[in-house]
Amino acid sequence: MQTSKKAKMHLSNETMNVGFVKKVEVLSGTSVRRCFQCGKCSAGCPMSSFMEHPPNRVVRLLQLGQGERVLAGRSIWYCASCETCTTRCPNKVNLAAIMDALRKLSWDADGPSKESYVQLANRLFIENIRTYGRQYELRLGAAFNMRSGQFLKDLMLGPKLLSRGKMKLFQSKNKNLPEIEAIFSRIEEMRKKGEAL
Amino acid sequence: MTSAKKHIRHYSYYPGCSLHASGREYDISTRELFKALRLGLQEVPDWFCCGATPAHNVDELLSLSLCAKNLSLAEDVEGDLAVACAACFSRLKVTQHHLKEDDSKRKQVEIAIAGPATVSKTVKHILEILARDFGLAKLEESVKKPLLGLKVACYYGCLLTRPPGVPELDDCEDPSIMEDILRALGAEPVKWSHRMECCGANFTLSRPGVVLKLSSAILKSAQEAGAECIMVACPLCHGNLDIRQDSIQKYGTPEGSLMGNIFGSDFAPGSEGMPHRETPIFYVTQLAALAMGVPTDKLGLESIIVDPRPLLKEKQLL
Repeated sequence: MQTSKKAKMHLSNETMNVGFVKKVEVLSGTSVRRCFQCGKCSAGCPMSSFMEHPPNRVVRLLQLGQGERVLAGRSIWYCASCETCTTRCPNKVNLAAIMDALRKLSWDADGPSKESYVQLANRLFIENIRTYGRQYELRLGAAFNMRSGQFLKDLMLGPKLLSRGKMKLFQSKNKNLPEIEAIFSRIEEMRKKGEAL
Repeated sequence: MTSAKKHIRHYSYYPGCSLHASGREYDISTRELFKALRLGLQEVPDWFCCGATPAHNVDELLSLSLCAKNLSLAEDVEGDLAVACAACFSRLKVTQHHLKEDDSKRKQVEIAIAGPATVSKTVKHILEILARDFGLAKLEESVKKPLLGLKVACYYGCLLTRPPGVPELDDCEDPSIMEDILRALGAEPVKWSHRMECCGANFTLSRPGVVLKLSSAILKSAQEAGAECIMVACPLCHGNLDIRQDSIQKYGTPEGSLMGNIFGSDFAPGSEGMPHRETPIFYVTQLAALAMGVPTDKLGLESIIVDPRPLLKEKQLL
């Protein structure tokens, strides 16, 4: 299936993945068919200038069963979850929830995306919850730099934040850590059994 | 003598991760403000991360379960749940909304947390507590040091009021709760265009160039409207506007440049620098506590990167 932005789109039973769109609709609890392409979401989106498919086009591509095109790009990872689109949609399409659903499907499939930094940041953030219970900002920054290869990124911020007490050198582990671990593993188990998406 | 006086109202408190780290002055000033207003504040013991944006971005069930568990921990502490961080507030409210509206999600969450997911705790943002529970009139009466002549841009950001019908804090497109509080404190809110625009939020870690672009527009708009400082109610907004202000003004927006991609914002000169004018960023609780006569060394002013003390001295508030 062609996935690049400029590639000509042929619509047929073979090229339209309707099953994918249904999954998105179930996960997000909203219908992409309600969208009539007024474009208010993209007009108000603070991140649309960073996206190859602005929000209204993401919905249009879903309507046409072209989920793969959306996942292949970086648009979903450049959504800031500011909820402006959901707030302004005249047809009550919950676009922010659609973005969440698309990210989840891409994340689960470990799918192709041009945007790896945002995914790395998300992964480290969630890892921090599982390891410490609360965010450990120093580790978040250090691990991000190591794993992204941007070793010097924001190096000057460290001393600035530490000297003002805005960053802890050490993070103690939360007392509820066993309970947090149990939440993670129960969710994994539910998914294995097919009880949750 | 004052310590012997009883609290007029009691709240449980979910500070959130940022308030124990990069937003420590928000925590310090919230506690001082509540003390000054004789409002009780008791932290929920061993609360943990709400999951913030990264969790719901890729795993809604995880996000809902983390929040539901925190809400059930909060049940053990008396009073409505006071939340200062806009992101935590949003996640907790969204979770309650889903638990109420969606039976199948609630059942999944209950399996994940191995217990009932209750929605009986009322979650309130600090702004709500000040403007509604305590009340604007009483707030105005309690002011000991009015913030006269201070021109402030009230910045709401994304999560305090959106999406419609969920946080129920104020109108989701045209709120006024921050301006109302500010007027009660004696300061002067300016009219400006970027009150509700996104600052770039958690892209500060993954793509700082995004933050520099969005936050520079916010700073520019506030300055053009004549604001001398900006008031926020979210530690992420504060971080982006305050901690990165220096880079914004020196370097503009480096997103896309080779140097920017390798070294991040600190070493990458961009093209759209802006005139250097320091705009201190305050938390609402810092300005409110200042007006209530809390000693100025207890407001965490020294933690703000863009030093607000020269401005406060100029206004004879320090």
